[in-house]
This record gives sequence, C-alpha cells and structure tokens, in this order.
Amino acid sequence: MNVGLTDLMSMAKPNIEAREKFLSKLGNKELVNCFQCLKCTSGCTALKLLELKPHEIVKLVNLGFVDELASSDIIWTCVTCLKCVQRCPQKASPYHIIMVLRNMAVEKEVQIPEEYLKAFSRILETGLAEASQEVSTRKMEVFDRESLNLPKINFPRESFQAVFMKIMEEK
Amino acid sequence: MKVPVFWGCRILTSQYAYEMSVREVFQKLNIELVDLSETNCCGDPIKSVKDSAANYLAIRVLALANATGLDGLLVPCNRCHFAISEAKNVLNKNKNLDEKIKGLLREEGLEYNSYIKIWHVIDFLHDFIGLESIKKATQKPLKDLRLATHVGCQIIRYSDLGRVDNAENPRKLDELVEIIGAKTVDYAEKLDCCGAPLMYSHPSSALSLAGTKIKALQSLGVDGLVISCPDCGLMFDFRQKDAMATVGAKVNLPVIYYTQLLGLALNVEVEKLGLHLNQSPVEQLLMKISA
Repeated sequence: MNVGLTDLMSMAKPNIEAREKFLSKLGNKELVNCFQCLKCTSGCTALKLLELKPHEIVKLVNLGFVDELASSDIIWTCVTCLKCVQRCPQKASPYHIIMVLRNMAVEKEVQIPEEYLKAFSRILETGLAEASQEVSTRKMEVFDRESLNLPKINFPRESFQAVFMKIMEEK
Repeated sequence: MKVPVFWGCRILTSQYAYEMSVREVFQKLNIELVDLSETNCCGDPIKSVKDSAANYLAIRVLALANATGLDGLLVPCNRCHFAISEAKNVLNKNKNLDEKIKGLLREEGLEYNSYIKIWHVIDFLHDFIGLESIKKATQKPLKDLRLATHVGCQIIRYSDLGRVDNAENPRKLDELVEIIGAKTVDYAEKLDCCGAPLMYSHPSSALSLAGTKIKALQSLGVDGLVISCPDCGLMFDFRQKDAMATVGAKVNLPVIYYTQLLGLALNVEVEKLGLHLNQSPVEQLLMKISA
C-alpha cells in the first residue's frame, strides 16, 4: 500500500510467468481481447477523484506487469460499481481483473487497507462483517435492536469458524 | 405466502429503519418473512481478500435458505444480492469449486441446491406482488410529491448474472414510486454511485461521491431521494452531513427507503417504519404528505 504505480513501474520488467499465473486465477475471462476502447475508463466512478484508469490496468496486466499492479495502491481505488463489467464490449471486465490483483496483493502480504482485515477478523469471530451499533434519532434518543423490538441476531453455529478458516488458508 | 429473508450485516447492525419497514410492509402485503436460522456475512468484503472464501460465505447463505424448504430468498441489500448472485453463477460454471464448497458445507451439516430464486425488495414488489396489487393496497396515495430515485449499482449490474432491472435505464423503482401517487424525476446523475464501498480504503473520496450527488439533487428542487440499499442509506442519509462537508455545501435533503415510503402509503404508523431513525430531515417530507 501507499506505493504509486509510477514509482513501481520505473524499474519494472515484464514478467510473462506472472501473467500466466494471473490468467489462471482469472478463469475464462477474455482479458486478451481488450482493444483499449476506453469505455471502462470514460465511465469509471473512481476516475475523477482517484485517477483510476481501468484500461491502463488491463493493458499493464497484458504486458506482464502483474506484480507491480498487485503492490500498487491504485487497485484499492475501485468503487465496485460494476459499470466497466457491464459496458466492456470485449468482456475483459476490469473489475474482475482488479479483484484478482487484490487477492494477489493479500497472497504477497503487501499491506492492504486495514478495514478489509478488520472485516475478516469480525467475520471469523462472529460471522458478520460488522458489529451491532446503537443509533440515535434526530432528537438524540438512543436505540438498539432490542429497544426497537427487532429480533435477536442468529449468529452461526460453532463449526463455522473452523470451516471458514479452512478455505481461507487453502492455497 | 412465506419467503426466507437474508438481511446481511449492515441492515442487522445499523440500518434498522430498512429492516423495520421491510418487515412492516411485507406483513401488510400478506407475505410472511422467515428469518434464516443463522446468518453470516455474504462474502462481499472478502472478495478483495480471497475470492473462493467469499464464494463459500455467499453459498452458505443459500444453503441456509435451502434448509427452510422454501424455494426463494429475499435479499434486501444490494451488495449482498450481488455477492450471492455472482457466487451462484460462478459455482454453476466451475464444477471444481462447486464440489469443494459443497464439501465444506457438508462438514457443517448443510446442503446447497442451486435451484433458488434470489429476490431483491424492488423486483419482489414490482414483478412478484405487482404494481396493480400495490395500487389496490394503497390507502393514502402520496400526492404532490416530486421524488428522485437512486436504485444503486449492484442490483442492476452486470446483466449476464440476471439482475433486478435494466443496467442503463432502471425504471422499476420509479414505477413503484409512481404507483403510490408520487411523481419521479429523471436526472443526469441517476446512475452515479453512492461511494459506500470506498469507505474501506478512501473514506473522504467516498463521502465526496455521495455529497456531489446530493448537491445535484438539491438543485433539482426535489422533495426527497428514494433508496433501496443499506449502503446508499449509510452514505446519503446517515452520513449526509459529513458528505456535504466534503463538497462545501449545506443541504437538507430528505432520504427515505422505498419501503418506508410504501409503508406511509399503506397507512403504517411512522414509528413502526423507523422514520425517527433517518438522520436526514424526513419531517419535511412527512409534513408535505400529511398536509
């Protein structure tokens, strides 16, 4: 995290093996068919504020700069609005490419935004990604599920934790 | 009729008004919601960490729904709806992953059967209950209201999965608003994202996305914004003040869940719809309705 793509690219060399590994993780998505029409980037929610350019990411993966992308902070700017998946005429689907790169960042143990790890810990502990909150009304009265007469949350059975860890730890 | 419901995390832990209003409205429409015997995260945040584990979480939800013996599942959260729909699609195509996840579920005594229809509130009301039935059930039509709708991103994209409405021109939420008497407006920013998923990595940019949209809506002079996703509720309602601070504007835009609005038309009491929990100034809207 906190490493810009420009810095990472300054000494980079294409790595075809990394590209192959990436493609196998991506499954049957048709990455190589991207012809750089820029439909993804022109509709990208994260373009204006965070300078995410999905077409560049697709091109860099195709050229073999997978490790550089997985280490860069740019892959964490995607809002996951899915417009690029919808609009890509070549089914190259930048969103899915970015998700594979995020998974690879985790595998490489690059520092990723902390909130994702917090969500993971909470799921492991309680099954849910978030903890129950008290909320206040516009008149500052405080409520929780119980005082709102909402039913208790049915947390998962005990075996959940072990099974979830099993798939998390699998190579 | 009985329908199992999976709420996901955000509704169960903070967006209580959505849960309350869905429960009330469905009861009024004679649909009995069956809460799952247990719940877990749909996998959405884990998609960024480990895809296969995210799919396991999503399919576990479907297996819990299978265990009710009923053949549908209502998922009122857009992100959960996407995570679960995509996982179902991935398993249909990837036999290895399908076997692996079914094996893990069996360790917990759960069975997954992919013949299950995944509903969102919008398509359940629009396609299953139907506009005519909603019109008939309406006791207090909402006249003289001009409202904007925001359907959110993840229930309309991407179409290959089979989504709730058209990806580029969603109309179902507008039709649901119009059938209970209010007018809807078309606006250029209609498909703009609320920014919620960026709260994990770039919170100020996320709030700025929400703020920019609210600012645009205010200039249209609408009476309020109608939403149907707990993430959009978090951004446009719960964090409206913070969102406006990022774009340097003071705005007071009532933001209301569709099920809250429908509840008012069905004559459900305001408190039961959780309207005291909205952080945006919904009184403005309520006064206009009762006037």
